[in-house]
Amino acid sequence: MELWNHCENPYPFVPNEVLEQAESVRASLPNQYCDPTIAARLYDEIFDEYRLCDDIGINIVTNEHHSGINNLWAASPVITGIVANITKNVRILSLGTLITVRPDPVRIAEEYATIDILSKGRLEIGFVKSGATEMVSGDANPMRIREREWEAIDLIEKSLTTQDGPFSWEGKFFTHPHVNIWPRPYQQPRPEFWAATSDLPTCAELGRRNIVNTLLFGGYDRTRQAFDSYKQARAVAGLPAPGEDRFSYMAFAYVGDTDEEALRIGQKIAWFLTVSIKSAPQFSKFQPGAVLPEMAPAAWRTGASRRPRPANLDAEVLVGQGQMFAGNPDTVARQIKEFRKRVGGICHIITMTRQGLVTHAEAEASFKRAAKYVLPQLQDLPPVDADETAWEARRAAAAAQ
Amino acid sequence: MSDVLERPSAATLERLAVGPFDLEVLRHAAKRPGAPTLLMLHGINNISSLSPFLGHLSEHGEIVAPSHLGFGKSPDPGDCDTMYDLVHLYHSVLDALPANRVTLIGFSFGGWLAAELAVSSHPKLDRLILVDPFGVKLAGREHRDFPHLFNTNPAELNRRAWHDPAARPPGCYGIGWHAAIGDAMSDEEMMTLARNWDSLCLYAWRPHMYNPQLRHWLHRISVPTLVLWGAGDRIVTPDYGRAYAGLVPGAQFEMIDRAGHHPELEQPRAFVERVARFIDRGASA
Repeated sequence: MELWNHCENPYPFVPNEVLEQAESVRASLPNQYCDPTIAARLYDEIFDEYRLCDDIGINIVTNEHHSGINNLWAASPVITGIVANITKNVRILSLGTLITVRPDPVRIAEEYATIDILSKGRLEIGFVKSGATEMVSGDANPMRIREREWEAIDLIEKSLTTQDGPFSWEGKFFTHPHVNIWPRPYQQPRPEFWAATSDLPTCAELGRRNIVNTLLFGGYDRTRQAFDSYKQARAVAGLPAPGEDRFSYMAFAYVGDTDEEALRIGQKIAWFLTVSIKSAPQFSKFQPGAVLPEMAPAAWRTGASRRPRPANLDAEVLVGQGQMFAGNPDTVARQIKEFRKRVGGICHIITMTRQGLVTHAEAEASFKRAAKYVLPQLQDLPPVDADETAWEARRAAAAAQ
Repeated sequence: MSDVLERPSAATLERLAVGPFDLEVLRHAAKRPGAPTLLMLHGINNISSLSPFLGHLSEHGEIVAPSHLGFGKSPDPGDCDTMYDLVHLYHSVLDALPANRVTLIGFSFGGWLAAELAVSSHPKLDRLILVDPFGVKLAGREHRDFPHLFNTNPAELNRRAWHDPAARPPGCYGIGWHAAIGDAMSDEEMMTLARNWDSLCLYAWRPHMYNPQLRHWLHRISVPTLVLWGAGDRIVTPDYGRAYAGLVPGAQFEMIDRAGHHPELEQPRAFVERVARFIDRGASA
């Protein structure tokens, strides 16, 4: 198994009274509350954490969000390019730039090809559908974003892999008459693709395309369903069984010296769920496309937003739900191994540790313990769901349907 | 209080085949023979059969009110998801109507559509009535002509859209419809509102509720035009309406007091009187 460090570079320094009065802490909170000197310190600290991860064998994930306290990485390709330059060893995943918001997938392909060159082939490219406040801050139509996402992925893939261009693209959402990117990527035919989704039909499509499927905080059952959907789609299509390297999961995580320390510091991560996703109704449950019309009555009557949130944000409860790994190194290793077993096999664990009110020093201490004591316990594990007999049975069942 | 008319409506919901589309159409027969056909283009929600103006207005014309693609029970728009598509859809609707002379009435978002349709012209188009329409960009690049309907808190939209939000007629939903969600609203109504909201977004997210080119071509409108405005409309203000009307040759601009963005719902009697006067003037001309 591999461990990845994902930090969103949060900004938990806006006064509480401001946050309480704001209708949303994303999209509409004025940037007067972002002190650029604090932002500069945060950038320095987190790039130092990335250097540490490079030294100790924890891969790095970057992403982007816009106009909010949850994330100061406003341009994943920019940040990923810097990470490529300050690291030498680990894999780097951009998960990702917002392809449903950006107008030109060809430019995205150029940016990623550039980073792949810079990193000498250490880049992995992740796709996210996005939505909610991102549609507002990016002025992107929130309708039909799934179709737009797939067309963007198709165009990015063709841009990265075509070596006898220029070629022309005249799609529903994107047009580009003259595609011919320089440089082409370092990895051939292209860097690995990842996508973050728990939407079962999308997971199935990822399976057919052999794209790594990441779930974000999905817990045991939803993650198992998603991975099963991925596997089932491949079986139905007559494709080979996916390895565990096709599956990834992002969870909150803190590795302490003791379980008590880990839970105490892990509790600081819950800021992400209690504060940083406060959003106004027009950016959430009433945003067009947020719920299917047939689901609107249930969503609107209950006030539910598009993203289900854990009902209880106590760190121990999050651990019990499979949304946080926290404890001493042996505890965390046991939690991850149990998670792997319950979801039917997984290779990549993305840990969100420098989140909420967790400090730079606390984050670095956790990374060191994870690399030294947890990661070795996750190597050479016996197969969970990949033996040939089980796969043949699944494929036979699919063929009989 | 809204000026609710007592006359019962006898509107029916029918289907109208237009090319590959089978549109939902609300119809109300005219109460006198020879009355003109009034083709209504709805705003952000399809016209309710409970609308308080339907019965009285039918004394002055036959009402035909299709639901746009993606609205009400009309089919999904598929790839026909732009204002360009709606304009051509309604050219086909005009072709399909038996009447030779049609008065076009467009409300709100449908007012924008009606203006586009009138600019592109149609031989059956006889008169044009725009009611608090969106559609043109008048202010400078750093000023909005109206709030962003999808990015503004629904409570604020509701406050700005109505002269008296509490007195809107039941079952009729305009801007700020979110405030009406409650136990009295059926699941079917909610599903329709969600579908309408999604479809409006397809057509009008960006540029938001206007066509940057339209103002340059309003001079092509060649039929008598009435621009009606709720005096208390704080979504699209009367000043915007007055300037909009000024771009249409010979257009009359009239305001309806004690009404916001939906004068046909808040002051149906005054609305029908203004429309009737305009139509009848044409009939006697």
